[in-house]
Amino acid sequence: MEFLITSALNGVIYGMLLFMVSAGLTLIFGMMGVLNFAHASFYMLGAYFAYTLSGIFNFWIGLLVAPLLVGIIGILVERYLLRRVHFYGHAHELLLTFGLAFIFEELVKLFYGDYPVNYRMPDVLNFAAFNIFGTDYPFYRVFIGGVALAMFISLLVLLNKTRVGIVVRGAERLPQTAQALGHNVPLVFMGVFGAGAALAGLGGAVAGAFYPTNPNMALELGVIVFVVVVVGGLGSLTGSLLASLMIGIFSSFAVGLDWSLAGAFDWVGLGGWARSVGGLLTMSISSISGAMPFLLMLIVLLVRPAGLMGSKN
Amino acid sequence: MLSRRAISTVAGAGMALGMAVASSAQAEPLKVGIVESLSGSQTSTGRLYATAARYVLEKVNEQGGYNGEQIEILEYDNGGNTSGAAAKVRQAIADGVNVIIQGSSSAVAGQVSEDVRKHNIRNRGDEVLYLNVGGEAMELRGNKCHYHAFHFTSTAPMRVGALTQVMSEQGDLGDRVYSINQNYSWGKDMQESIEARADEYGYEVVDTVLHEVNRIQDFAPYVAQIKSANPDSVITGNWSNDLLLLMKAVGGAGLDDITFGTAFLDQVGNVANAGQGAMGNYVAHPGNIELLSEEFVNDYQSMTGHYPVYVEPGAVNGIKLFTKALEKVDFEGGDIDVNQIAAALEQATLETDLGEISIREGDHQTVMPVVVSRVSKDVKYPVDGTDMGFEPIEVVSAEDAIFSVQESCRMRRP
Repeated sequence: MEFLITSALNGVIYGMLLFMVSAGLTLIFGMMGVLNFAHASFYMLGAYFAYTLSGIFNFWIGLLVAPLLVGIIGILVERYLLRRVHFYGHAHELLLTFGLAFIFEELVKLFYGDYPVNYRMPDVLNFAAFNIFGTDYPFYRVFIGGVALAMFISLLVLLNKTRVGIVVRGAERLPQTAQALGHNVPLVFMGVFGAGAALAGLGGAVAGAFYPTNPNMALELGVIVFVVVVVGGLGSLTGSLLASLMIGIFSSFAVGLDWSLAGAFDWVGLGGWARSVGGLLTMSISSISGAMPFLLMLIVLLVRPAGLMGSKN
Repeated sequence: MLSRRAISTVAGAGMALGMAVASSAQAEPLKVGIVESLSGSQTSTGRLYATAARYVLEKVNEQGGYNGEQIEILEYDNGGNTSGAAAKVRQAIADGVNVIIQGSSSAVAGQVSEDVRKHNIRNRGDEVLYLNVGGEAMELRGNKCHYHAFHFTSTAPMRVGALTQVMSEQGDLGDRVYSINQNYSWGKDMQESIEARADEYGYEVVDTVLHEVNRIQDFAPYVAQIKSANPDSVITGNWSNDLLLLMKAVGGAGLDDITFGTAFLDQVGNVANAGQGAMGNYVAHPGNIELLSEEFVNDYQSMTGHYPVYVEPGAVNGIKLFTKALEKVDFEGGDIDVNQIAAALEQATLETDLGEISIREGDHQTVMPVVVSRVSKDVKYPVDGTDMGFEPIEVVSAEDAIFSVQESCRMRRP
């Protein structure tokens, strides 16, 4: 029981963090069709900007202003770089953002050094939310979950219930018609890209204080947010949330499970043989918990190529 | 003088004459290639090895260089991966380096070591030395050992041995030890060493975990596992994020009475990030700034812009030992034969601030003392802008720290 509840709790919170980072990516891909490889870099920039700002002002100002700065960088990237290569198709956009990711990483090293910086949560947030089976549960984890949930709800409302949402969705589906109706489609795309980047920046500003803020943080999370978007269904916000939670919970449970293929062979009386063979047969799930997201992606792609909530096209 | 003698003996051979004249005009410089991770995810460590190596070699150059010339120091960026390293080793050899220095990542070290070994087999008389300042994998001293590779860093048995000995003496080890390590050669070496020491120091290894390397973002599930095993101490060879996240997660869960025994807590940024959670935890390392002479520390600071940290003191000692060997071999301005340098290196000794270090012939591992330190506020050099630093608890002597030569090492001597 203890294992079940603790693992579920840990998994959900980690899933919410993944969602926080991947929401912007989903938005950008769903609305603009741009596979943004630099997305995790925006996450990293958010953390570093928040670190700088929290040093000058305080943590809360960092949390608010850092996403705005990252959003502005996102807008500049869209306006002066992406828009130029948009004409040449997706491959060029992908390569451009791929290159940007490297440039951002080296720039961060140039300005902040190679080591993790000392970006930490303020003391007012550093306390135990509750005690579960004798273990303190840090409030900041709950805070991360709360921010992610707020992000999800406000995005959903913005896209589905407001005029802005209608225009954005219209510009994505029928750009020429939207343009004919007097909407500035390039401006909409610029806004969407900026908003997506800002969301990643917010994710970084929040998570960077809990996980170390270092020049590798983009690299570490970069792959996994793509898995989230693919599993969730390209462009589906609800799908992203679902995929994030699944990945979080699967990874969390996998750590505690000592299952191996040899264990499965026990059922047919071949356990002893399997253990003597060793290798893959005795590898426990816990030692490959980091591969869980990729396993999940494989299965989802086989069963539902469009992702959990993705539309067929 | 040499060239005149050379001319008189081979006066008939025009080509040899030409060569001899050329060598008289200029002595042959020793070329050292630093093949390090200078970009990519391991820059933070790679840069330190490069800085430390450069510091020592430039000191030699200040005092007139070697073989009548300044030592040529060439830097290559291996990008932190084996394919990059293979390419850069080829390039370095094409540039005519005599010695290759590399440290960060055992995987890259394995690649460099093997490439050097193969090159040396195919190019007798034109060999290259490999100085490993950071790759700790036992394999490098085991079945991958070879005559032209020298290992200047500690290994898992050395670190774990020192850690368990000192933590046990200090009463911080306890009866129940939890082993959590990264799932590759280094982590497995660590786990093996932790299990091997259990009887000697009277502890039980309550659980062992191997997890993926620097891919786990959330260590909370592992903390739940640790908690259910109820250990007194956790010994881990984790480095970088894997150590930071683990310590943060344990601190956040309120399990403050668990003591950590680590190999890399002194990595820059770790103490600041772990905050008060770092206090009282141990690290076993080849060098601690607190024990170094003030003269060296300040000189290092003035030349490189920072105090020697993390892997730097150890790397400096290793390369200094190498320069000791250089002093023993005099080529009188002629061609450099690295086999002679290697032979001299096997005999060289260096008196460091911690004690004497030397190379043993069996596997070319450096026999060196290991320091065990504890995070404390009672230090001369606080780290990371905090009020904490590493207080040396005990220097475990070279004889006590060293492990026996592995049977898998069959070194062929030239």
